Amino acid sequence: MLKMKNLSKVYRTHMIETHALRGFDIHVREGEFVAVSGPSGSGKTTFLNIAGLLEDFSAGDFHLDGIDVRGMDDAARSRLRNEKIGFIFQGFNLMPDLNLFDNVDVPLRYRKFDAAERKRRIDAALGRVGLSSRMKHYPSELSGGQQQRVAIARALAGSPRLLLADEPTGNLDSLMARGVMELLEEIHSQGTTIIMVSHDPELAARAQRNVHIVDGQVTDFDEEPRFDAPAANTPSPVAAPPQIA
Amino acid sequence: MFRYNLWLAAVSLKRNPVLTALMIAAIGLGIGMSMTSFTVLSTMSGNPLAHKNELVRRVQLDNWGAEQPFREPNEPPELMSYRDVTNLLEKGEAQYKAASFPNVLPLEPAQRELTPYMIQVLFATGDFFPVFEPPMRYGQGWGKAEDRDATRVVVVGHETNEKVFGGENSVGRKLRIGGEDYAVVGVLGPWNPQPKVHHVSNGAFGGVEEVFVPFAIGIEKELQSSSNNSCWSEGDDDDATGYRGWLESDCVWLDLTVQLKDQEQVAAYRRFLDDYVREEKKAGRFPRELNNRLYSVSEWLSAQKVVSRDARTQVWLAFAFLLVCLLNTVGLLLAKFLGKSSEIGLRRAVGASKPQLFAQFLTESAVVGVVGGVLGLALSLLGLLALRTLYAGTSQEELAHMDWNLVLVTMGVALVASLLAGLYPTWRACQVQPATQLKTQ
Amino acid sequence: MEIRPIASALMRNKSALVLIALQVAITLAIVCNSVFIILERIEKVNRPSGLDEPAIFAISSSGFAPGFDLDGSMRQDLDAIRSTPGIIDATAINSIPLSNGGWSEGVSDKPEGTPLKDRKQESTSVYLVDEHAVKSMGLELVAGRDFTANDVTVRTQEDVGKAQSIIVTQALADRFYPDGAVGKTIYAGGLVDDGRPVTIIGVVKRLQAPWVGWDKVEHSLLVPLLQQGENQARYLIRAEPGQRDRLMPEIEKKLGEINSGRILRDLKSLEEIRGDSYRRDRAMSVILGTVIVALLIVTGLGIVGMASFWVTRRTKQIGTRRALGARRFDVRRYFMVENAIVIAIGLALGVVLTYGFNLWLMQHYELPRLAWYYVPIGIVTMFLLGQVAVSGPAGRASRVSPAVATRSV
Repeated sequence: MLKMKNLSKVYRTHMIETHALRGFDIHVREGEFVAVSGPSGSGKTTFLNIAGLLEDFSAGDFHLDGIDVRGMDDAARSRLRNEKIGFIFQGFNLMPDLNLFDNVDVPLRYRKFDAAERKRRIDAALGRVGLSSRMKHYPSELSGGQQQRVAIARALAGSPRLLLADEPTGNLDSLMARGVMELLEEIHSQGTTIIMVSHDPELAARAQRNVHIVDGQVTDFDEEPRFDAPAANTPSPVAAPPQIA
Repeated sequence: MFRYNLWLAAVSLKRNPVLTALMIAAIGLGIGMSMTSFTVLSTMSGNPLAHKNELVRRVQLDNWGAEQPFREPNEPPELMSYRDVTNLLEKGEAQYKAASFPNVLPLEPAQRELTPYMIQVLFATGDFFPVFEPPMRYGQGWGKAEDRDATRVVVVGHETNEKVFGGENSVGRKLRIGGEDYAVVGVLGPWNPQPKVHHVSNGAFGGVEEVFVPFAIGIEKELQSSSNNSCWSEGDDDDATGYRGWLESDCVWLDLTVQLKDQEQVAAYRRFLDDYVREEKKAGRFPRELNNRLYSVSEWLSAQKVVSRDARTQVWLAFAFLLVCLLNTVGLLLAKFLGKSSEIGLRRAVGASKPQLFAQFLTESAVVGVVGGVLGLALSLLGLLALRTLYAGTSQEELAHMDWNLVLVTMGVALVASLLAGLYPTWRACQVQPATQLKTQ
Repeated sequence: MEIRPIASALMRNKSALVLIALQVAITLAIVCNSVFIILERIEKVNRPSGLDEPAIFAISSSGFAPGFDLDGSMRQDLDAIRSTPGIIDATAINSIPLSNGGWSEGVSDKPEGTPLKDRKQESTSVYLVDEHAVKSMGLELVAGRDFTANDVTVRTQEDVGKAQSIIVTQALADRFYPDGAVGKTIYAGGLVDDGRPVTIIGVVKRLQAPWVGWDKVEHSLLVPLLQQGENQARYLIRAEPGQRDRLMPEIEKKLGEINSGRILRDLKSLEEIRGDSYRRDRAMSVILGTVIVALLIVTGLGIVGMASFWVTRRTKQIGTRRALGARRFDVRRYFMVENAIVIAIGLALGVVLTYGFNLWLMQHYELPRLAWYYVPIGIVTMFLLGQVAVSGPAGRASRVSPAVATRSV
């Protein structure tokens, strides 16, 4: 699904060169749920930006869903983002001036769907996150957890093959965070590949695979979920789906 | 606190120099344009006799033909016939009666080096001076005797006195006009009433006459007005011809303005005019219905539509332009202040009260207003200069002058306008709830 | 397309929308009406006067010396002028066309006593001239004949003269005798002293009255009378092409030598006189033009300012849109469409304002109704202005990196 080989990213400002990523190798297979962690400034966000085609890379190879994205022009990258990738941001990034329906509609507008198809997809996506009844509400009228679920609905509406989540629970309290996590797991179980950046070990633990980035390189690569943090502090997973108000 | 607000305003304005420049330019342009046109309009709408507006009255009698009014709708002529003027100069109780008409005569300076030139002469009764109050620098006007005897006396205007007599007290000296010698009895200081109330028929603005001589001399010399002479029928049944016929006709060409002592006398004079016309009707004159006017100066100026339509249109447009500029500034301030919601939230959180924040943002608007006002003032000066060039040679040229009152008005308007423009954005900004701003982002 | 979501987002920011829309509305109203006034003035200024303007100049003489012989000096003057090489012809005249000073007279097709409903009456300007007038002015005689020396009589203060024949302009002739005026008579009280009519012997295509702002400006009479009063004389002189500027000082000098007991003044070319008379109209056009340009600049810059600010404020939203698949073009289009919607709302209001303003001008300034094409042209102009103004900020928006979406603040 996503394959990076010997990838590097250099930021140049005046005289200083910063290597955000160097010799970066990763291979995420179709249907995987990968959690990416690492300290601040390690290159997590750069990795996510490059993976989501939000930024270009300086050198190396990158294939997304079998497509070589190197040297692709902006319009083609935009189309690829739109069709294959769904984004979930830490800050939700909803349009405050659009209601939920129109928010979910945003990515669909950039595709050649007709109105009926868009409506069907929006209804389905909002239904999936349990917010069908709030279509006409505006983001400011919702709680943080609900806003993030709208963002997830927006990411899902275009039926992406790959979901990129950047600290999806970073702005949420633990109860709401758990609800969002449940949702992601459910989406994953239905076959969508998910790459999630998070420094929350509990969340990372729920992914299939953990990747640790330090200084722009993958340092830890395991096949099995594992815990880095002391287990004592970790609340046990809840069995029933959380109720998010 | 004010100094702190001023400092905050300066910091904030410097942070967005382009936006600030845009707002200042908008206010400045709007103020500059509206003040320029307003200056012209206010000069046009001036009343040099405002201090005795109600007592100075313009006499109008409707001696026009039965078939048509002088001007629709049923307006009497603005000038008078010689016949009625002489009658009214004799009869009727009034403090002063100023009758006059303009003409041009050749003036032959005593000095050899000056060639003869044509000069604007006002033929007026001696009462002209107390009614219109030109500043008398030396000497005085003339009295009833000179009016009666057509004595060759002259009151010389400031510029002519400068030119012909080198600016000295020329009372008692001789001035040769129209081939005759006149004794100088008075010299005026600079006098430039706008509008020139005593004669508006040929344009109410521009320079006034430079030489004043008794009314009776003009009649003796068989002159007509160099301005308007209007007739509705000429010598139908009377046998007088030539200048006699002209004087006896109902042709109108003379200005008559009276000054009355009090409102009672105004009412009495009104009755007197009506009685006079009724009496004349018995003699077969005045075929139209009684239609006399006794306008005060301000009524007279507005009835004569002294303020040009162009000037009015310009003022309307300029103020509409100012409105657009203000809307512009409101928009920019709004965008700017709403962009500061996090700062507002923070200030609220650390204890700033709503009035304090209000003062802070209003100060910023006021700073824009003051700077915009200064720019506007400079632009109005430029605008007036441009108007003087554009209207060079027309009577309108005289109108485009800045005075100190206007400087104050300009600054006041700029400040008030920008405070008004700042009010809504400020109010909106102060609606920001401290809690919501700190929570998200 | 994506108009509905853009419009509904706009509705959430009503104040910004209203402010720009109002500016656009007022701008449209002012621009349409001002352009209308300007074009009307230009049309007025460019009306032909009927005279051979570039070739004509005028000069006045006022005698002051005791015993000044006006009659003799006029004949001498005119002979001297006409015999000067380079001069086509010259006439004595009571007032100069386009000079804003002259004689107007009410004329009628029936005698004075006739009730008004039974006769036609018109105001006209009156030019007192000699038999050289048509040639001196360069008028086009379209019917009848020119004056001859026999037609001309003298008019003094005591004697109104013996005018028998007149030449009228086509416009005036059409008011009375649309089927041909030559040979017909009209009554003009001021021209004769015994109430008899005068005969129309010729019709000129065009000759404007002296007052350029008069609604009857095309009504003029030429009367063969030599006016001799108050020792004043005025001459209208026509030079051969290109000779005018050379001859003006020469003629002035020549007249001064003929008789020194007078003042020669108002030596002016007809072009100068025209310029003076139309100065207010020119000034008004320039002022209105300035208002229009300033207004368009202010409105345009206002749109630029607001749009820039909103782009800055919405950087994160733009980044998010980019991340969700919007191309640069889509982002640019978003702002262009948004601008077009705001302008359209403003223009809808503006059309109402424009016609309201026009109605007000019609009532107060006797201005005609706005021609239909002003508003469509105004609308297109304002749309273009809006699109040009927003293109800068929209371009900036389209260059926002999609990576902005993942930035935390």
